[in-house]
Amino acid sequence: MRKLWKRTTAIVMASTMALSLAACSGESAANSQAGGDTATAEASSAGEDITLRITWWGGQSRHEYTQQILDKYTELHPNIHFEATPSGWDGYFEKLATDTATGAMPDIVQMDYLYVSTYAANNSLADLTPYMEDGTMDASTIDADILASGNIDGKQIAMPLSTSLLTVAYSPTCLEAAGVEEPTSDWTWEDFAAMCSEVHEKTGYLGTSSGPVDDTNNFNYWVRQHGEQLFSDDNKSLGFEDDQITVDFFNLWKGMMDDGAAADPDEYEQLLALGIEAGPMATDECGYYINWNNYTTLMANVNDNLKMVTPPQLEGGENGLWMKPGMFFSVAETSQYKEECAAFIDWFINSEEANAIMMGERGTPVSSTAREYLINSGKLTEQQQQMFDYVDQAAPLCGDTPAPDPVGIAEVNQAFKDAAYSVFYNQVSAEDAAASFRQQANSILAANN
Amino acid sequence: MAMRKAKSLQETQHYSAKDNAVGYLLMTPWLIGFILMWAIPAGMSIYYSFTDYNLLSAPNWVGFQNYVTILTTDTNFRQALFVTLGYVFVMVPLRLIFALFVANLLNKKHVGMAMYRVLYYVPSIIGGSIAVSVVWKQIFGNQGVIMSLLERFGIEQEYSLVGNPRTALFVIILMGVWQFGSSMLIFLSGLKQIPDALYESAAMDGATPIQRFWKITIPMLTPTIFFNLIQQIINGLRIFTESKIITDGGPMNSTLTYVLYLYRTAFTNFHMGYSCALAWIMVLIIGLATVLLFKTQKSWVYYEAQ
Repeated sequence: MRKLWKRTTAIVMASTMALSLAACSGESAANSQAGGDTATAEASSAGEDITLRITWWGGQSRHEYTQQILDKYTELHPNIHFEATPSGWDGYFEKLATDTATGAMPDIVQMDYLYVSTYAANNSLADLTPYMEDGTMDASTIDADILASGNIDGKQIAMPLSTSLLTVAYSPTCLEAAGVEEPTSDWTWEDFAAMCSEVHEKTGYLGTSSGPVDDTNNFNYWVRQHGEQLFSDDNKSLGFEDDQITVDFFNLWKGMMDDGAAADPDEYEQLLALGIEAGPMATDECGYYINWNNYTTLMANVNDNLKMVTPPQLEGGENGLWMKPGMFFSVAETSQYKEECAAFIDWFINSEEANAIMMGERGTPVSSTAREYLINSGKLTEQQQQMFDYVDQAAPLCGDTPAPDPVGIAEVNQAFKDAAYSVFYNQVSAEDAAASFRQQANSILAANN
Repeated sequence: MAMRKAKSLQETQHYSAKDNAVGYLLMTPWLIGFILMWAIPAGMSIYYSFTDYNLLSAPNWVGFQNYVTILTTDTNFRQALFVTLGYVFVMVPLRLIFALFVANLLNKKHVGMAMYRVLYYVPSIIGGSIAVSVVWKQIFGNQGVIMSLLERFGIEQEYSLVGNPRTALFVIILMGVWQFGSSMLIFLSGLKQIPDALYESAAMDGATPIQRFWKITIPMLTPTIFFNLIQQIINGLRIFTESKIITDGGPMNSTLTYVLYLYRTAFTNFHMGYSCALAWIMVLIIGLATVLLFKTQKSWVYYEAQ
């Protein structure tokens, strides 16, 4: 009996430990079985059948129309086939990182501003400059500032597909119910806070239900309004000296949360779980939502009443808005078909065929020809029209385009969120949180850049 | 004696040629799996733990730097360890007590008992899954059943149970306790091995059911308890899904469990080398905990054969 138990205990213990270990290093196990995919690479472009692997993140509708675009391209170029692996945003970059580590990065990869620097620093992405020079790609249709956002250390390693601008979406129905007038571009943060409180008092709904500290975009806008920049030029530290900027930002939002006008972290996490299409904006049960200017287009399925206005001004402050590249296509350095990829991306960005299917779902197209085509096509829905109009509306409020986010931005975002939440949960003062954020952010940035 | 030894040695030699080959052949499927899925990855992860590997470019040797950073300056490491140990210290005893309680109830001859056993085992099968974690998140969220009930009884809370840094870990602990099925089954088989004669003679001597439980059931069950304890502690230290899905480590890192931190380090922040070092520290912790427990068993685990 004793022996039996001892032995069983030992065996189970050993195997459990083995499993726990394997779970930690499971990804490296995946290493060994990948790498075979690139073997088909010998075929050249001249009419031979080629399969390009492509991956992107997005929702169901993006998956469907992107597949249509790919089919269209195959129809026009019968020798080019696609193997698509679409996914949601969650887990997308985890998977991409492991694919890259195993040398199995798809040929064409949808890339985000957050990670462009990281992948560039590791030489995982192909330099597309030669294809722009030899005419495979026409980048002359793309605004120079936006194009430059995909150019790191002189290499064009990412082609922007769309631009985004920070916006405040609002529900006219909800505002009307609260007796609040629709905002105009000259509104200030005080107006915003007051209107949110008003909505909450009159209707019981949330004034605003977006997460102001999920990443540093809202804060970046705030810092820019103070005439500063979020990160220093060498990306080794924060770009502003005065912690009061951070303190004021935390206090502004904390005040709104305490009033019930903004979603507190608890409410926000619950809303996040619902997803934006099931959130309160869908049913006009919330006043405002800070997001990007393709938001109303994304929401059109569930609520086609939403409108957009530029984010609040800082009294006596500067223009803080900037054109953010919405997303990119990059080509893997390991791809055997870089030229074919470049040709496809060019077609995807500039052609009428692709844009007629896409209809600006990825954000305002970067290509001026695509924009002209869409605006003159007469096929735009009201929301899509709004998205285009918004670009003109916001232009006078834009400042310089900031450099791409530094390496380590995901960690900085996490540190920022933790610091903000410690204020929102009444655990530390805004001053202490601001100081702790600076200390953490600086050490993360110094270690990564 | 000497002769027998010599004989057995001879026998060993006799077997070695053909039979050993057959033995290894039969072992091959397992051996391949072991080497490919365990030994090589484990070896690689030891190597990576001494590098600055970031998944995207070739690793550079950094010596013990990762370990030094983790043990000296990493506040998230301390928080994650604190959360995980707290989770294990509270969850494991509760789960075992609950499992033993239910096993006792089910250790009776009764019509339909098999069905109850299956029913109580169900949470263990589905418990660690994403779907249940999502449901759990909703139940304890601010729109969920639990908060509505509390409100009805006049207990107003500023935050929901999952949204409050003070209580979020308890929701996850509760989910751990709820998955008591596998310990319960092992207890049940342990209970069945206690000879009825002991209970009968104790009853004859006038022992109450409570006395019988403490003086017979518990001592006779100590090997099972020991086994369950070790298994559950190791399992508990590896908690990941619940904290990833229900709270994603939040609010304010109050549910940042060790493996979640490790995962985040590797796949969100791309510090694979650092993350491997974290993994090996965990292996050491698990090993240490197990050794310590084995040392204590002399003083409280009763084996019948002794």
